[in-house]
Amino acid sequence: MKQFLRIFSLLFGLSLLLYWATPTQAKSGALDNIKKRGYLLWGSDAEGGAPYIFPDPKDPSRLIGFEVDIAEALARELGVSARQSQNAWDSLIPALQRGDFDMVMNGIEVTPQRQTKVLFSIPYYIYTEQLVVRKDETEIRDINDLKGKKAGTLSGTVAQDILMNLGSVNVRIYAGQVEPYEDLAIGRIDAVLLDLPIAAYYGKTNPRLRYAGEPVGEGFYGIAVRKGDDDLKIELDRIILKLLQSGELKKIYEKWDLWNKAQDKLLAGVKDTSGYSDIEASKNAPVRTFFPMLLKGAGITVLISVASMALAVTLGLVLTLTRQYGRPLLGRLATSYIEIYRGTPLLIQLYILYYGLPNIGISLSPVIAAVLGLGMNYAAYEAELYRAGISAIPKGQMEAALSLGMTQRTAVQRIILPQAFRIALPGVTNDFIALFKDSSLVSIIAMVELTKTYTILAASTLRFFELGIIVAVLYFAMSYPLSLLARRLEERLKGKSR
Amino acid sequence: MIRIRGLHKSFGAQQLFKGLDLDITRGEVVVCIGPSGSGKSTFLRCINGLEHFEKGEIIVDAIELHSIRKVRPERQDLEAIRQVRLKVGMVFQQFNLFPHMTVMENIIEAPVRVLGRKGEEAYRDALALLEKINLQQKVDSYPDQLSGGEQQRVAIARALAMRPEAMLFDEPTSSLDPEMVGEVLSVIKSLVNEGMTTVIATHEMGFADEVADRVVVFDKGDIVEMGPPEEIFSNPKAERTKVFLSRVLKR
Repeated sequence: MKQFLRIFSLLFGLSLLLYWATPTQAKSGALDNIKKRGYLLWGSDAEGGAPYIFPDPKDPSRLIGFEVDIAEALARELGVSARQSQNAWDSLIPALQRGDFDMVMNGIEVTPQRQTKVLFSIPYYIYTEQLVVRKDETEIRDINDLKGKKAGTLSGTVAQDILMNLGSVNVRIYAGQVEPYEDLAIGRIDAVLLDLPIAAYYGKTNPRLRYAGEPVGEGFYGIAVRKGDDDLKIELDRIILKLLQSGELKKIYEKWDLWNKAQDKLLAGVKDTSGYSDIEASKNAPVRTFFPMLLKGAGITVLISVASMALAVTLGLVLTLTRQYGRPLLGRLATSYIEIYRGTPLLIQLYILYYGLPNIGISLSPVIAAVLGLGMNYAAYEAELYRAGISAIPKGQMEAALSLGMTQRTAVQRIILPQAFRIALPGVTNDFIALFKDSSLVSIIAMVELTKTYTILAASTLRFFELGIIVAVLYFAMSYPLSLLARRLEERLKGKSR
Repeated sequence: MIRIRGLHKSFGAQQLFKGLDLDITRGEVVVCIGPSGSGKSTFLRCINGLEHFEKGEIIVDAIELHSIRKVRPERQDLEAIRQVRLKVGMVFQQFNLFPHMTVMENIIEAPVRVLGRKGEEAYRDALALLEKINLQQKVDSYPDQLSGGEQQRVAIARALAMRPEAMLFDEPTSSLDPEMVGEVLSVIKSLVNEGMTTVIATHEMGFADEVADRVVVFDKGDIVEMGPPEEIFSNPKAERTKVFLSRVLKR
């Protein structure tokens, strides 16, 4: 334990050192580099990204979207070609800072918080937040009617801040823009608040959904570049202004049905790019203000892990017994189950369970889907562990039990399984720890557990480092006692039989 | 008490028993001898339903066992086998004690679970059995804390706790160190003296000579000769018996 503390504090100190010693970016020459290189590398997330950037439905190998059109116009003006770099939306800014691409253009809202991290060009679009509800909705007329309702939005957006600041709204956070509208349509949530372009593409086009009320809020999308790349920013500003004045930008927006009156302000030369400054103030808050949210996330992680492990252990046992002792047909079914669940990614299983099943009329709540998804997946692994345990037991044990007049059932229950469990136990506890960490995958089905809480908080405050360390410590603080407990349990059982 | 008629048994393409007949009367002590692989162990395992056989019948106290399907046998056949096992106890070469249970738990498990006897009563009977084999001080030991001889004695007590009418011993001393053979054989001897119907497969010729009412000589799946021990050991008739005996007795 002492040694562990020493290593840990060493690691901690090292990472702090790294934190303070962030490498300084090249102060100038970003523009020259791009021209020399011959292409402009821009970061964005094409996953469910219409109408910003998304795969062309007619030719999915090609990316289209209004930001693709803008990027091409920008590159043309710079005398180079445009090249897109795929990156998860949540972490576009950190990736930019790390130097993965020259700029980020992907519906990034200009906020003071982000302005402390990156440089923003002049705005290229004025967004508003649009509330979308089901066609048959009668109670929700606008955003003020959301109290006590379930409202969905995208992780790390201004819409999320608006919903959170309304208070008493049950906010569901999604990683993609398609899923909240899907869940709204089948009634899992009551409303979706998102940027107008998203609402226009995914909400308005859905025959079961409609707009509710006027757009609220007003903010700016800007192109983000690294601090220090001032030459690039100035050049981008110049080009955007040129595209605005020539009407080319307007043409692009009209093509994507995004032009509205609000955009006139772009040309009017908006100076104030503060957006939601009142909300932003809270983001410089001391770290401890995040603890209640993080602890809640940790609680949900524990809940999901324990419940799904309980399911995995039981279902795994049923599978093994069916496979070893059941009717041949059922045995083959159990074997197929194990092979299929072990041979396909957990992520796909979760997607099918949560977003796929509603297509055939079964709509599970996030918690149920999370526990079922994890539990059913891990059951396959537990079944294999039990099987290994059972086959390690000498044949004579079963024969001795049978010769004493036990039925096969009693023999399995009293003689075979207790010994098999003992052999399987190290593997099972190991799986529990693995499941504990795998539980972060359920964030894709709108479960806000610890990892999701982290990405939400980090994406909106951009404090990836300190929050990341805290979350890692939280995970460790939960899983380490677990492995200690497992080790003690193993030793006790060993002492009993050997 | 035990009647075997026309027993056929093969392992894959290899035929072992080609129609064995044998009758064992109540109280009789039958000792099976013969070279390794001659079929004496398999014969015992057939009687206890641990080995599947193709043809013939085994009748134990009016319960009839006949050839049953290897895969998913009928429920009533399984129950018949279980009824036979309740009448006939078995002791294995490898002891097969349950390693996760103490000596006491090993002994009372089946009486309590299978016969539904009360724990306290089973416990008292088990203590009496342990006293008989002189292991009462090992009640709470686990099998791996015992010597091989002690384990085999516990295994015998475990089988006796079910109050069987007959006992099968499948080479009970073959995996013991020589100095422990005696203690196990003396337990079996005292059991025989109490009149228990007993079938033993063994390589201990001196013991066979001492306890057997009848010696049955196996070779390559055939019963080549049987008779009282003094006859078999001093005046064997069959050529195969002579060859076998000369080989073991020379050692």
